[in-house]
Amino acid sequence: MNWRRVRELVRKEFIQLFRDRKNRPLMVVAPLLQMIVFGYVITTDVRDIRMALIDQSRTPESRRLIDAFDGNPTFRITHVLQDPKELDRLLLLRRVDIALQIPPDFDARIHKGETAEILVLADGSMSNMAAVRIAYSVNVLETFNSQLLQELNRRRIEFGEIDGRVRTWYNPNLDSQYYYVPGIVAFLVMLLSLLYTSMAVVREKEAGTMEQLIVTPLKPSEFILGKTIPFILIAQAQMVMVILFARLWFQIPMVGSAFLLLVASFIFLLSTLGIGLLISTVSRTQQQAMMTNFFFILPFFMLSGFVFPIANMPAVVQGLTHLNPLSHFLIIIRGVFLKGTGFGILWPQFLELVALGGFVFTLAVRRFRKRLD
Amino acid sequence: MNLRKIQAIARKEYYHLIRDYRSLYLAFIIPLLLILLFGYALSLDVEHIATAVVDHDQTPESRDFIRRLGASVYFDVVAHPASSAALTDLLDRNRVVLGVVIPPGWSADLKADRAGALQVLIDGSDPNTAGNSRAYITAFIAQANARNLLDFLNRHGRERIRSPVEARTRVWFNEDLESRNFIVPGIIAVIIMIVGALLTSMVVAREVENGTMETIRALPVRAGEFFLGKAIPYFVITLVDVLVSILMGQVLFGVVMKASFWLMILASTVYILVALSTGLLISIKTKSQLVANQLAVLATYLPSLLLSDFVFPQQNMPAVFQAVSMLVPATYYIDILNGIYLRDLSFLQLWPSFLVLVLMMGLLGALNIRALRKEGL
Repeated sequence: MNWRRVRELVRKEFIQLFRDRKNRPLMVVAPLLQMIVFGYVITTDVRDIRMALIDQSRTPESRRLIDAFDGNPTFRITHVLQDPKELDRLLLLRRVDIALQIPPDFDARIHKGETAEILVLADGSMSNMAAVRIAYSVNVLETFNSQLLQELNRRRIEFGEIDGRVRTWYNPNLDSQYYYVPGIVAFLVMLLSLLYTSMAVVREKEAGTMEQLIVTPLKPSEFILGKTIPFILIAQAQMVMVILFARLWFQIPMVGSAFLLLVASFIFLLSTLGIGLLISTVSRTQQQAMMTNFFFILPFFMLSGFVFPIANMPAVVQGLTHLNPLSHFLIIIRGVFLKGTGFGILWPQFLELVALGGFVFTLAVRRFRKRLD
Repeated sequence: MNLRKIQAIARKEYYHLIRDYRSLYLAFIIPLLLILLFGYALSLDVEHIATAVVDHDQTPESRDFIRRLGASVYFDVVAHPASSAALTDLLDRNRVVLGVVIPPGWSADLKADRAGALQVLIDGSDPNTAGNSRAYITAFIAQANARNLLDFLNRHGRERIRSPVEARTRVWFNEDLESRNFIVPGIIAVIIMIVGALLTSMVVAREVENGTMETIRALPVRAGEFFLGKAIPYFVITLVDVLVSILMGQVLFGVVMKASFWLMILASTVYILVALSTGLLISIKTKSQLVANQLAVLATYLPSLLLSDFVFPQQNMPAVFQAVSMLVPATYYIDILNGIYLRDLSFLQLWPSFLVLVLMMGLLGALNIRALRKEGL
C-alpha cells in the first residue's frame, strides 16, 4: 500500500468531479432541493376534511349536528346542496372528501325515541386517509349523541364516562417533518454515495481511460481506496450540510449525540459504497450502472420504513428488511434525532450495519479486478 | 421527415440496447419488482396497531375492555406489561406504538357513575401511524362511552334507550379501503418515468461523451428524424412495461380498471411521450451522463413520486408546491389513472388532464427539436 499513489488518485477524482461546470452546483443544490421538496411534501396527515352536505330535515336538531362538524377544526364544509345527484358528482370529481346526508325524518325520529340514520359517503380512493376521516366523523357523531341524550333527558347525567387522556410522545404535535426529515438525510446520503461510486469506475471504462489506469503501478486495493475516499468525504460533507439544513430550516431539534450519528453514517457508507463499487465492477456502461443502481435504490427506499411502516409488511418481507442497510440507519438516525436514544439501545442496529457493510465491502473488493473486459 | 432515416437511427439505438442487455432486462425487471413490492409488501393502511395494556385494575370490566380493544381490526394487544415503566420501555424500543394504562379502581369509578380516567400513550414519531392510532382510539373510546351511557339510561329505567343518531357509512371508489387499489395504478406513473425518462437521459449524452455525436452531425439526418429514431425503441419498451404492469396488477392483486382499457392506453401513450421527451431534452442539454442522470432523477422521478398526488395528497402541500405540482406531468396522468381505475370516468370528464398532457408533449417535442438544431442537426 503506497499512500502517495492513493493520494494522487484521490486528487484526480476531485479534479474530475469539480471540473464539470454543471456538476459542481448539483452536488450542493441537488441534496438541498430534494430535502426541501421531501420535507414539505411527505405528509399523510388528515388536517382538512372537505365536506359536502345535504340537509333534508332543516330543523334545529339537524343544524346542531351540522354545527358539531363545522365547529370541529378538521372539518370544513365546502358545499351545502339540495340535490343528492350533485353530491355524487362532487365526490366523483374529487371536490370533497366526505359527504353527509341528513334525511327528512331526522328530528321526528329523534323525538320519538328512535334512531335517526344519517348517510355518510366517503371517498375511499386514498384508503389510509379515508379511514382516518371516517374515524373522525364517528368521533364527532358519538360526542354529539352523548350531548343530545343528556339534553333530551333534561338534566345532567353523571354516568361512568371513560375519560381518555391521550398523550403523544416524541413528536407531540404529530409534525410530519420531525419524522421524515431525518429519514431524508439518510436517504439522500445513500442515493448520492451510490450514484457517485457506481459511476466512478464505469466512467473510466467507457471513456477508455481504464487502460491507462491499468498500466500505472496502482494496486487494486489502492485503486479502490482512491476511488472511495473522495466519495466518503463528499458524502460526509453532504450529510453535515443536510443535517445543518434540517436544524436551521426545518427547525428539527436533535436530541441525541451528533458524534454517534457521524459514526453511524460512516458505517452506513461502507455498505452503500460497497454496493456502488460492486455495481461499477459489473457494469460496462453508465446507463447500465444507473439502471442497476435503481434496481437497488427502489427496494432499499420502499423496504426501509421511510414512508411505508415495516410493521405493515408481511413477516417474510419484514425479515428481508434486515438486509437493507437503510432500514438500520433510519432507526439510528430517527432515534438520535427524535428520542435521543444512545448506543445502549441502538447497538443491535450498529451491529447489523457493521456486519452488512463489512460483508458487502469485502465482496466488492474481492470481485474487483484491475482488468479490461 | 424520412421514414428510412428514422428507422436507421432506431435500429442503431436498438442495437445499443441489445448489446447492453442488462439495461434492457432491468427495464423490465424494475417494473415487476415495483409492482410486486407495492402489491404484496407495502401498505399505508394502519391496522393491527401493536398495543400494550397495563391493567392495574384487574377486574372483569377492565378485562372486557381489553378484550374489545383486541377484537377490533385496528388494535393488536401484543403485550401486558406490569408497570408504566415497563410500558415506557416497550415504546422506547419500538415494540409497541400504543400504550393504554388502566388505573386501579377504574371500573369501580365507572360503576359508581364517576368518570374513569384512562391513560393512552402514543409513539408519535411516525405521524401517519400515530395520527391513525389517535383517531381510532379516540373513536373507540367514544363508542365505548356511548355504550356506557345507554347502559346507564337502561339501568335508571329511562324510556330512551336507543342511540339518537347513527351513521350509515358507505365508502366509494375503493370500497374495501385497500391502499393497494390506488398505489398499484399510481406506480405505473413512476415506472414510466424511471424507464422512459431515466434511460433516455443517458442516450444523447453518451454519444457526446464517446465522441460519436460528431459522426451523427455529419449524417444526412434532420433533428426530427434523430429525435423520433432515438425515442421509438424506448417507447416500445415503456409501453410493454405499462401493459405488463396492468396485467400483473389485475392477475396478482385483483386491481381492475373500472373504465375503458383503450382510454388507459391512450393516456399512457401521451404520458410516455412526455417522459421520453423530458429525458432526451435533459440528455441533449447536459451532454454528461453523470449530470444528466442526476438531473433526470431530480426533474422526473422525484416529482412524479412526490408531487403528483400519488401517495402524498396535494391538498396538504404548501401553496408553492401546489403550484409546482401543476407543472408536473405525473399529476395529470395520476388524475387520469385515478379516474380510470377507481371512479369509472370517461373521456368527457377526463379531457382537461388529457389536454394538458398533449400540450406538454407538444412543447417538449418542440424544445427537443430546437435543442438538436442548435447541436448542428
